[in-house]
Amino acid sequence: MISQTSIFTFIDTVLVMARKELTIMIRYPVEFVASFIQVFIIVTVLTLAGMMFSPDGVRASSGVSNTAGLVVYGFILFLFISDVLWTIGYNVRRDQKQGTLEQLYLSPASKFANLLSRVVVTLVWTGLLSITSSWIMSSMIGGLPMNNVPLAIGILLLGLCGTIGTGFAFAAITLKIREAANTLANLIQFAFMLLCAPFFPFSGLPDWIRNISRLIPTSYTVDAFRSTLMGYPKGFPELAPIEVEIAIVAAFGILMPLIGYWMYRRQENIARTDGSLSEY
Amino acid sequence: MQGQVVINNLSKTYRTKHRKGLFKSEEKLVEALKGISFEIQPGEIFGLLGPNGAGKTTLIKCLTTLLIPTSGEAIINGYRLTKDDNAIRASTGCMLMGERGLYWKLTGRENLVFFGALYHLSSKDRVKRAESIIERLHLGDIADRAVESYSSGQRMKLAFAKALINDAPLLILDEPTNTLDVPSARELRAIVRELNDEGKTVIYTTHIMSEAETLCNRVAIVDRGEVLALGTVDELKASMGKEEVIRIEGVISSKAASAVESLVGVKRSASAAVNGHQQLTVVVEDQRALLPRLIESLTTHHAVIQKITPEEMTLEDVFIARTGRTLAEDTRVK
Amino acid sequence: MGKPTFSQNFSAAVAETRLRLINISRYPGQLAMEIIIPIIFASMPMLLGRATAGDNASANFAANTGTTNYVAFLLIGSNVFTLVSNAFWHIANWLRFEQETGTLESIYLTPTPSIVIASGVAIYSVGRGLISALLAYFIGCLIFQVNPIQGDVLLALLFIFFGLLPLYGMAMLFGALVLKVKESNALIQLMQWVVSFLMGIFYPVAVLPPLVRVVAYLFPPTWMVNGVRSSLLGVGFFFGQWYLDMAVLWAFMLAAPLFGYWVFTRVESNVKRNEGMGEF
Repeated sequence: MISQTSIFTFIDTVLVMARKELTIMIRYPVEFVASFIQVFIIVTVLTLAGMMFSPDGVRASSGVSNTAGLVVYGFILFLFISDVLWTIGYNVRRDQKQGTLEQLYLSPASKFANLLSRVVVTLVWTGLLSITSSWIMSSMIGGLPMNNVPLAIGILLLGLCGTIGTGFAFAAITLKIREAANTLANLIQFAFMLLCAPFFPFSGLPDWIRNISRLIPTSYTVDAFRSTLMGYPKGFPELAPIEVEIAIVAAFGILMPLIGYWMYRRQENIARTDGSLSEY
Repeated sequence: MQGQVVINNLSKTYRTKHRKGLFKSEEKLVEALKGISFEIQPGEIFGLLGPNGAGKTTLIKCLTTLLIPTSGEAIINGYRLTKDDNAIRASTGCMLMGERGLYWKLTGRENLVFFGALYHLSSKDRVKRAESIIERLHLGDIADRAVESYSSGQRMKLAFAKALINDAPLLILDEPTNTLDVPSARELRAIVRELNDEGKTVIYTTHIMSEAETLCNRVAIVDRGEVLALGTVDELKASMGKEEVIRIEGVISSKAASAVESLVGVKRSASAAVNGHQQLTVVVEDQRALLPRLIESLTTHHAVIQKITPEEMTLEDVFIARTGRTLAEDTRVK
Repeated sequence: MGKPTFSQNFSAAVAETRLRLINISRYPGQLAMEIIIPIIFASMPMLLGRATAGDNASANFAANTGTTNYVAFLLIGSNVFTLVSNAFWHIANWLRFEQETGTLESIYLTPTPSIVIASGVAIYSVGRGLISALLAYFIGCLIFQVNPIQGDVLLALLFIFFGLLPLYGMAMLFGALVLKVKESNALIQLMQWVVSFLMGIFYPVAVLPPLVRVVAYLFPPTWMVNGVRSSLLGVGFFFGQWYLDMAVLWAFMLAAPLFGYWVFTRVESNVKRNEGMGEF
């Protein structure tokens, strides 16, 4: 019964793996519910903190607010980055600990399907979280601007592709550094929070930090995405002209998945050479 | 006829780091496999026998593509190792790592169906196949419970079931009866025999000599990365020539053991702790002639003899004869 | 072979502290993260506030919180949160830690009571948390160029000191929940964010709705963080005088650890009677 691979078996494998991930997720009901509630709480804490700088305090503002757009749209990207790091990258670690990573390598199933299945789960789950948390934030700090929606969606999709490629690269790093990947994921998450300015304008950063931000493609995704939806008010986008930012985001979205996947396969071969695939 | 598995000069060397204080470390090379070569014929149950650290699992991991060998080549089911890895995986059923390698939050049945999908079985086939394996291994009572609730033995059985999901012509089982109770281990061995009768080739690693003797058509004795001996059980025993074994249990000091080794007519001996006693296994030319001198030598050196048994040669004796150590010793490089 | 003596128990607790210290010394990155994360976390509302309020940032903040020194206010909040986080992760999770390292049954086979081992963990946790929090506070003040030592420093330290015991008592309570529910990571993460929300990590609890405020007052960290802020920044004690707020903290100090321990031991013996500690 030696089966042949085809596009249909590949799709079947992706769907089966995605279904497995979702099944496991649902069977950790506390984790499932907690991840929803946690996001709302973090959103509320940060929003209330920001409101302490407003002359109106916690009284919700009415009407469309660019501040709301700045924060909410940046938060959406933050959610995707975080989830990609943890569900694509760090979950490789969970499989390593359980011994199921080796089982995957004993089978002829595509390794790309394995990574892709986690992307499917992330997109669905994080998408839901983004929509509901945006609604909460905007009800607290003001209505969301909604200009140039199709372009913004295009920027978001390209940015997500690049982010997913980053996730593949992180999965490669996880294979190498194992438990230290926990610390690294935290570091990347917090570095992103500061350098890619998802919760505040780039103008809030000192010049030298802003120059570092300019070296990170995700900064352009954040800036281009929210500037587009805000309708390019004065001073936005902040890092570069919009055409340049879109070009950078597009290049990131096309190249990063390829680079990330190459890194993953390379690290996988190293793990198979030095015998660390089963080490946990 | 070319073998189903042909291994030619396969080697595997690891780099390991040894800590020397807080910040310094030293790199060492460990030769886990040293130019192994042999063939396995279709329809055999082929045993790999050796102590912990002998290189059995390293060899298995190379053959199942989990490890890339340092040098050498192998052909498995007609596919070349490192060139046709996916085809090797598709045509091999493996049970490695014992009870690890299962999804704890999925039921036994869900695990089997999932892995069936990884072997590209159609959705109908994987469900049918999972059901038939569950029936065959009498897992019906536990199949629909989450694996996290299983006992150690139940997980081992499920891991074995997983190895059968793709109905592969070659089965590779690494210490499959580890942690199983006696009846379950017996049941598993019976199923292995049945599968072999159905035409499957089996590579079976174990450090339990009696398993290798009763189950395997041929056995390779592996130690420190090398094949020391290969053949049928009878061939291996006969290879010892005119040699017999005496086993002595009691309180035997190292001085007494050395005195025994130096007796004329004693070819080799090895000491091990078994069930709280010291067990001295002595390979001799003639049991009858040597027994009195053996007893005298031991008592002169104040050994307390609790049991003395002249025995038929076993595979462990073959191992002792070749290495001077028992199968119970851990030979992992320190 | 009677009950262990006090010095034997103390020695066992110290041995556990030492074990944890050896363990964490192998992950220096994690310790560094503990200092960096609170600074980055506090800087986000800071940067948003500065960017949106401009020169009015201090004045707006003072109108909403009672102090113009938003840097210290936010850093105090995020660093007290570090202490809360450590208590939860080390105490509430200590049994899970033992299970994951495979040592849980071994511990329960010894004559040392589990509370003694938990005490050893607590000593380690307090030490680690205090050092991280203090370092992060000082470094954060240095980065944002504010004076870290202002107001009544001794009183602030007393609020921290007297707040720790009830905090760890509360952590024992959550430890009991973790014993029963078993999905420790998700639960602890959720609880620590709930506590951060209730204790007013980045805002005064006065901005919370009345019912939520009442719940907030039931948490010792709320009194701890407000006590430190009031001592250093003069934002105002809940009852107007420091000794009244301190009295409440002392009441918590008496009640919370005993209550937490009582609940924990009851749940522990319930688990032993049913599924057994090995299945935990």
